[in-house]
Amino acid sequence: MNSSSTRINYYALALVSAWTGVLVVFSFWMSRQAYHWLPVQASTAAPLVDGLFSFETALATFVFFGVISVMAWVVIFNRAEKYDMSDAEPIEGNTRLEIIWTVIPALIVFGIAFYSVRVNQKLAVLGPMEHIHRGDPIEEVGGFLGDRLPAEQVEVTARQWSWQFNYPAAKVSSTELHLPVDKPVTFRLVSEDVIHGFYVPAFRLKQDIIPGRAINLNLTPTREGRYRLRDSMYSGTWFSTNQADVVVESEAEYNSWLQQAASQPLQPGLSDAVAEYKQRQAEGARGWPTVVPAPAPMVNVPGSNQLPHNG
Amino acid sequence: MESTGNNHNQGMHANHNLTGFIIFLCSESVIFLAFFSGYALLKLNALDWLPHGVEGLEWQTPLINTFVLVSSSGTIYLAERQMARHNVWGFRGWWLATMALGGYFLWGQAVEWSGLKFGFTSGTFGGTFYLLTGFHGLHVLTGVLLMALMLGKSFIPNNYKGGEQGIQATSLFWHFVDVIWIILFVLIYVWQRS
Amino acid sequence: MTLASYDPRVLKSNAPVPGAPDNWKRFFSFNTDAKVIGIQYITVAIFFLLIGGLLAMIMRGELITPENDLVDRTVYNGLYTMHGTIMLFMFIFPVLNGLNNLLIPTMIGAPDMAFPRLNAVAFWLVPIFGVILISSFLLPGGPANSGWWSYPPVSTQNPLGNLVSGEGMWLTAVALSGVSSIMGAVNFVTTIIRMRAPGMTFFRMPIFIWTAWAAQSLQLIGLPALTGGAIMLLFDLVVGTSFFQPEGGGDPVLYQHFFWFYSHPAVYVIILPVFGIFSELFSAHSRKPLFGYAFVALASFAIVFLGLIVWVHHFFPSGVPEWMRNLFMVTTMLISVPTGVKVFAWLATIWGGKLRLNTPMLFSLGGLFNFVFAGVTGIMLATVPIDIHVNNTYFVVGHFHYVIYGAAVMGIYAAIYHWFPKFTGRMYYEGLGKLHFFLTFIGTNLNFFPMHPLGLMGMPRRVSSYDPEFTFWNVVASLGSFLLGVSIIPFLINMISSWVRGPQAPQNPWNAIGLEWLLPSPPPAENFEENVPTVISGPYGYGTGKPLVENQSAYENQSLLEA
Repeated sequence: MNSSSTRINYYALALVSAWTGVLVVFSFWMSRQAYHWLPVQASTAAPLVDGLFSFETALATFVFFGVISVMAWVVIFNRAEKYDMSDAEPIEGNTRLEIIWTVIPALIVFGIAFYSVRVNQKLAVLGPMEHIHRGDPIEEVGGFLGDRLPAEQVEVTARQWSWQFNYPAAKVSSTELHLPVDKPVTFRLVSEDVIHGFYVPAFRLKQDIIPGRAINLNLTPTREGRYRLRDSMYSGTWFSTNQADVVVESEAEYNSWLQQAASQPLQPGLSDAVAEYKQRQAEGARGWPTVVPAPAPMVNVPGSNQLPHNG
Repeated sequence: MESTGNNHNQGMHANHNLTGFIIFLCSESVIFLAFFSGYALLKLNALDWLPHGVEGLEWQTPLINTFVLVSSSGTIYLAERQMARHNVWGFRGWWLATMALGGYFLWGQAVEWSGLKFGFTSGTFGGTFYLLTGFHGLHVLTGVLLMALMLGKSFIPNNYKGGEQGIQATSLFWHFVDVIWIILFVLIYVWQRS
Repeated sequence: MTLASYDPRVLKSNAPVPGAPDNWKRFFSFNTDAKVIGIQYITVAIFFLLIGGLLAMIMRGELITPENDLVDRTVYNGLYTMHGTIMLFMFIFPVLNGLNNLLIPTMIGAPDMAFPRLNAVAFWLVPIFGVILISSFLLPGGPANSGWWSYPPVSTQNPLGNLVSGEGMWLTAVALSGVSSIMGAVNFVTTIIRMRAPGMTFFRMPIFIWTAWAAQSLQLIGLPALTGGAIMLLFDLVVGTSFFQPEGGGDPVLYQHFFWFYSHPAVYVIILPVFGIFSELFSAHSRKPLFGYAFVALASFAIVFLGLIVWVHHFFPSGVPEWMRNLFMVTTMLISVPTGVKVFAWLATIWGGKLRLNTPMLFSLGGLFNFVFAGVTGIMLATVPIDIHVNNTYFVVGHFHYVIYGAAVMGIYAAIYHWFPKFTGRMYYEGLGKLHFFLTFIGTNLNFFPMHPLGLMGMPRRVSSYDPEFTFWNVVASLGSFLLGVSIIPFLINMISSWVRGPQAPQNPWNAIGLEWLLPSPPPAENFEENVPTVISGPYGYGTGKPLVENQSAYENQSLLEA
């Protein structure tokens, strides 16, 4: 690789080109693989996020393995012989090369930024989100612009440590979230105590729920199945158990669920924290004092969080 | 070993105390910047800024306090000039005047606090008010104490032969406290209604 | 070994040397010698590394099964909070300040720090706030348990209602740590600006000095914001103000701004000196000048500037307005440009060199490997739509640990091995060093790589139990963490036994260039004393044959200087 600078070393050039080609193919293959590392795609947002992730996986693979290849080459072929105490050739820099490796990464970075701003706009993750504290404390986030209007309304209440879902139109409440497939839905997120995070990995969307504010989140589920809603912002002792199931079903099934639910009397909903707290106190608490879990919310349908889920 | 180290440093690099102090002041200003921006954000986003029964802040007394503090920046400058001319008694006079003005400011602040109808825990308005004025007042107090220290040092014979870094640093600190107060006065007393 | 075999300059000053009967005593006293303070910092830091690592291994023990079955959930939450706090405030920052103390005065030819007594006070605060933090385990309410971010309102809940709570002690310890760091930063920056040897212009300073300067500037600008936030949080907790409490009109997100305005730059405070270490070691151990010195030096301050305007990327999903998300995404991505400049410069430095794969070089290469991996996942995290999915998941935890353990701690190990002979006067054992490297490198990747797939699958961080689909990667990560725990054993054996009875180190075992290598090993208390050399060329003249200082042979041959 230390070819004389006057004539091109075709052997080295061929080697570098061939290896670059291998890396390009490998990066492309990795970008296909990237889709399998993520949960199933269950919302309109998911394919956009995954596409961006796949693209960045390709770039990341190329950069990482490119750098590692250079390091590996140097470690294998540029080692000093035993007892060789001499210095190497004193090359102190090359301004043109340095400018190139400043400008090219900058261009790549702007390319990524441009792509993701476009995805953002499509997602409207960056929708009108100004702090409207005074007067109307509602913030709007998420979903396609088309997801916004006449949408199914669901009120989500997060607390230490349970989730409650209210369907104001049908006058139904539940601790299991049911959504009709391919229908836009608007969540109104509120917290009764600390910051929680509304996170459904299969939807690729996440929104912190800030106490003292009501935040609107829009999305459209696209795939029937049972998914996990997880609390993504640490919220205290039983943070890990603060999960609920999201059931995405056909509109007919959804409507019949709502109808059945409306006829059910109010009963305690799901709260793993309440159950665990009771058991913990009975056994004589081993740990340190904790905030006592809020009582399980009274709802029409408790639902379940023990069934197998798709993501 | 310790003593040899210090002598050596002072001999070789006599004047980095002031450098260190300036660096420290730059850093210290960020904490005020943090409080100021927190105050502005909380005030801009507040639904009800003033607690019940509080109409706003009376600004005449604080304005007098402001004049007192600003003029003390002048007197400390005069004190430094006297020191530069090796007029130690002139220095002590102006220095004492500065301390008196600083003391008056603290007294005025205490009078204002005692007459207020809200406390530290009266919402973010009360919280930020006492946090900002209290934290600044702590700096004024520190400044007055530093001046007292320097005044005491001026009675040690030959203490200021080699340079007046302590006086320069104290004076710089006093100007800093003064500038912070002006910003604080504008934020709290002038900007009353959002 | 007899004392007579030491450099006469070492024996002349009354600093005890290894082998002298009262050598160890000075490390337990209020000593103002930067080299003693440096070793004090590093030793205390490694002690806390062991504690923090132990807490991590208990956590990984809990996470080896999906159920919550090893420790109570409250205990788990206390463990992860204290793990993060101890590792950052009591291991990483002190260990780096230790290296700063050892290297800054010797590399710039200063006799000591600018303010030796302030330096000692800054160090002795470390054990003080360490004791405060650790003793909070003994409180009836337990230690702080809301994570090292300590976000309100969850951090101010204080179920027992006692005045002295774990959270209060945590805030006190963090505030004291801030005071200590500010003292240190004022001292380091003043020393670098004012106490360089004659002839050492800014562009003849070693890159470590550039990066230390850049990092300490970040401390000076960022730390006061955290201190301000911590003071307000303490008032919320103890007095009942409502700066961050929504029911009193406060804003919990405001705290997040204060916290990350410092704590993001804090990552650069950690990694910048490690960039400096890489720059020193790659050129010394591949026998080539650092490629593009000026670019690498200036890139440090580009990172400082950009590092101060990226903090919002830590809470993209928490309700920040649109323009902020866009702006901070672009600034975050831009930071990869000066960082890339450094990585390419290191590659060009080792390219065509004459590499010697001793322990310091192995740790540098391993650290660079991990750093590049952390860099590419960092770009993913900067992208808002991807971040929305993986924010607060194990993906972030994995990325962060690749930076902090994979790159920074490996770089710190490299530095400890590289400069061990200089500051202890003894050589370490190469075989144990290499064993330490391979265990660390494998353990790091085994522990932290699995966190990336877990995060992509949607496993939130800070959980004490999880859904069964996450089991496989968690088992791998736990095994990796136990291996990392084992990896520290050869390091401790090596350090202690080498220091006690290792072979005596020559003045310059690596044949490296730098003022510190012109000092005897270990250097005398006042470093160059009256004979401060005059620097006449840049810091990386490998292969050029240019001397670094005037009359260099006199420094290389101490008897000439004596005469």
